[in-house]
Amino acid sequence: MFRRTFMSLTLGTAIALSGAFSATAQSEELTIFWAEWDPANYLQELANIYTAETGVTVTVQTTPWPDFQTKTFAEFNAKGDAFDMVVGDSQWVGAGSTGGHYVELTDFYAKHKVLDSMAPATVKAYSEYPGNSGKQWSIPLEGDAAGWAYRKDWFEDPKEMAAFKAKYGYDLAVPKDYKQLRDIAEFFHRPDEKRYGIAIYTDNSYDAMLMGIESTIFSYGGELGDYSSYKVEGILNSPQNAEAVEMYKQLYGFTPPNWGKTFFQESNQAITENLAAMSMNFFAFFPALANKASNPNADVTGYFANPAGPGGAQHAALGGQGISIVSYSKKQEASMKFLEWFIKDETQKKWAELGGYTCNKAVLESEAFRKATPYNEAFYQTMFIVKDFWAVPEYAELLTQINNGVYPYIISGEGGSAQEVLNKVSAEWVATFKKYGR
Amino acid sequence: MAVVTSARKRVMNRMAIAAIMVIAIIFLSPLYWIGSTAFKPRSLATTVPPTVFFQPEITPFIKLFTKRVQLTKPVDPAVYEAAPWYEKRIYDGGERILRVGPNIQLSQYPNRFLNSLIIAIVSTALAVSMGTITAYGFSRFKMPGEADWLFFILSTRMLPPIVVAIPMYLMYRTVGLNDSHLGLIILYTAFNLSFSVWLMKGFMDEIPKEYEEAALVDGYTRMQSFFKIVLPEAVTGIAATSVFCFITAWNEYAFALIMTNRRAQTTPPFIPSQVGSGLIDWTVIAAGTLLFIIPVAVFTFLLRKHLLRGVTFGAIRK
Amino acid sequence: MAGLATLHPSSRAVARGWSDLTIRNVFIIPTILFLIIFNVFPLIYSLGYSFTDFRASVNEPVKFIGLANYRELLSDPRIWNNFWVTAKYVMVSVFGQMVIGFGLALLLNRSIPAKGLITTLLMLPMMMSAAVVGLFWRLLYDPSWGPLNYVLGIGDFAWLSNADAALYAVALTDIWMWAPFVMLLSLAGLSAVPQHLYEAAAIDRAGTWYTFSRITLPLVAPLLLIALIFRTMEAFKTFDIAYILSTQPTTELVSIKLYKFAFQEWQTGKSCALAYIVLIMVLAITNIYVKYLNKAKER
Repeated sequence: MFRRTFMSLTLGTAIALSGAFSATAQSEELTIFWAEWDPANYLQELANIYTAETGVTVTVQTTPWPDFQTKTFAEFNAKGDAFDMVVGDSQWVGAGSTGGHYVELTDFYAKHKVLDSMAPATVKAYSEYPGNSGKQWSIPLEGDAAGWAYRKDWFEDPKEMAAFKAKYGYDLAVPKDYKQLRDIAEFFHRPDEKRYGIAIYTDNSYDAMLMGIESTIFSYGGELGDYSSYKVEGILNSPQNAEAVEMYKQLYGFTPPNWGKTFFQESNQAITENLAAMSMNFFAFFPALANKASNPNADVTGYFANPAGPGGAQHAALGGQGISIVSYSKKQEASMKFLEWFIKDETQKKWAELGGYTCNKAVLESEAFRKATPYNEAFYQTMFIVKDFWAVPEYAELLTQINNGVYPYIISGEGGSAQEVLNKVSAEWVATFKKYGR
Repeated sequence: MAVVTSARKRVMNRMAIAAIMVIAIIFLSPLYWIGSTAFKPRSLATTVPPTVFFQPEITPFIKLFTKRVQLTKPVDPAVYEAAPWYEKRIYDGGERILRVGPNIQLSQYPNRFLNSLIIAIVSTALAVSMGTITAYGFSRFKMPGEADWLFFILSTRMLPPIVVAIPMYLMYRTVGLNDSHLGLIILYTAFNLSFSVWLMKGFMDEIPKEYEEAALVDGYTRMQSFFKIVLPEAVTGIAATSVFCFITAWNEYAFALIMTNRRAQTTPPFIPSQVGSGLIDWTVIAAGTLLFIIPVAVFTFLLRKHLLRGVTFGAIRK
Repeated sequence: MAGLATLHPSSRAVARGWSDLTIRNVFIIPTILFLIIFNVFPLIYSLGYSFTDFRASVNEPVKFIGLANYRELLSDPRIWNNFWVTAKYVMVSVFGQMVIGFGLALLLNRSIPAKGLITTLLMLPMMMSAAVVGLFWRLLYDPSWGPLNYVLGIGDFAWLSNADAALYAVALTDIWMWAPFVMLLSLAGLSAVPQHLYEAAAIDRAGTWYTFSRITLPLVAPLLLIALIFRTMEAFKTFDIAYILSTQPTTELVSIKLYKFAFQEWQTGKSCALAYIVLIMVLAITNIYVKYLNKAKER
């Protein structure tokens, strides 16, 4: 019995396989590698237009955010040609250019006057390395930054407003600074009712949690170091940074349960599942919140830019990516042609219409763009206050070190005070820079 | 006295049966959960309290096989009306299917599934055929240091995958085997070979030597007797070994995670990479998982008589 | 080489076709060569790298640094913590599997309707991909939208993001997958206990505990031992489930640390050294394991 079944199964699969093999003959194909999220799907849709125009198939290949860096660099370090282009994170420009993984685009910039069409801040963040050298390595593709979604219906409930005013002495509204953010989070934090104050990033893999902390640090007037002189001591572990990290820990106290390893999906779910009053996330993840089919609360979800710190400074962590050509690709010519098409104004307009966050100056400033979605206005404002992490080749080690120090402090209060933790991380960063002769 | 004992025994038996039923239900409920989630509407996948009764729908499978994107504005009613039934389901879920020109764009799932099939089948065929002849060699002929060789063969299977993966990654990048079907096939063959030798040796040892000796007397050569007498006798063993090797290769995750990317990625690293866009759509993950574990479930059922032997490398034959 | 003299007596037939010696060599040597090329050679390769500061991510010349990697690793309390966490994980998960698996076998060791079907169904989890199992348990464990906490009635207890509970959550999933394995082996052992021993005990009016501890347990012990060793080895190697379920820094298994060293931080030389430390441990366990396996076979 077993014997016969086995034989027929084998035979069946063999037939199925031979059929499948013959179906996979292909014409010219380009592959773009990016992380798994909505913008990658929008890019696929945009690329399909290119395919319809030119006959060149463009596939957007994706992998989840936490694995994105590992997968990309595993491929780079194997000098593999699986990908022709990579939509790399802003921090990768250093490693990508000095490691020889990216094709230099300085000539491309000059020839196609890219600097005239793209917002200068995005070119600086996603493409130029070393800073102010004029050497370009990628085309800004997706602008992004940290922002906030909140429950308008909770905020505007008259009973809540009265109770809030009675307790804190000012009106319940979109928070203007971190103190207000904290108060509102505390106010709505009611575990008995299964309602919680706030949703923030806490995933310690890659840069997820750090994005939240960074936004806080920058708004508190702090820095992660001097990016040109590599000075860290006294900057990373400054008193205002310690205060910012303490604030982040306080905010963690008002998050829903099991919130110790969360990223964009959980942040969105906090809104859709009625868990939290406010939720920090990247703008690129907000389409799912504005969509009634995936967010039953879409109509009552509002958005605001990252609030200011105690000193009045207001900043937000920069996300977003530029697209680069992989130097191991055998189809660099075809990739260049795709990029030429991509930077055209009408392509950029189409890109924004599909849901991509264009970095094209003209499109970005247009009324049509700012009114297109409930969150585009907040995005537009945020793009003027963004700041980014180190873009040096050894940024991955810096990330691991700061995660190892700050994560246990925020989640379980280990490692002493915020100041002590930052002192330790600062010493490790100094050692790392020394190791690489910075 | 005897009556009392048997009455007590019967009560004990009943209780044991009841306990087993309860435990079996507990053990199987996660599997039920995967299966049922694959047919749920998205809104019911993450409800508290959990939804047990619902109108099953096929939408998760439509989503599994298509490339989709969030709607940023409502669909034009005319477009909606003109759409085929499966596309309407997607529109209802607030998404639209991507198209290249007029053609619907498929997701990567079929391709990953196919990769899994190709890699698992070819590596199984290689591992089992090499394993069979090697097992025959060890079973029928004396080999100096036989026990040591067999230990060596077994020990290759005991290494943690990551330990092997680091140098393999470095070697493969030198010879250009990263992210290729061949690369994974070789890895899985090496991984399964030791298992197949050990398991097949047990089956070979059970085939009486007298059969071959009679054939040799009848004028067969050793090779002829191997192909005409021994192999037919060993078919059940070969089939069981193949299924075990197939399942191992089918399920393997760590190597596939590190060694594959665009071309040769198999299903196990692909399914977690589906967790996707702005929100996790568990129904799609469940649908992909369900299709992925069906072959394993069928094989497990067919194999049930050989399970014990297989999971102990042929050490226990029963 | 012992050569022809040690071959099977039927080697008288060598005159026709290939000689037995040739067949033996043709049948065995390719397999051994294949395994050497794809298992031993890479290890020699990485042994070399473990004495260097090699980083696969940069094109810089590789420097020989002797035992520095090993010294650095063995003096790093974080690495020792990884080993301690792994040991804790192995103990919890294997203990759970042994108790539940053996208990299930005791319950099942009687005539029960649809016994074959139940045992086969219970085997399903261990035949599944650990990656997929891990992914789904992530949903089950979620306190806000997973079903587990609701069913258990434990409110919003955090499993995976809780530094104290994460390791046990991973172990629990592993127990779910592999307790049936122990059950399978125990059932084989139990069914081999001769029935007349129980009958004799019943005639002697021996108590249940006495019968269990003097008859059942000693006879099943060798198989339980195999199960124990098997599961210990496998648990020590755990990567998939733990990688997908949790990356709490305080509950990081050695295999995950290894993955991070090698493929996230690209400290290739150092990761090779750590791999070697792990390798030596695994080989030691394998040795013990094979010894008992052979013993069990001789029974």
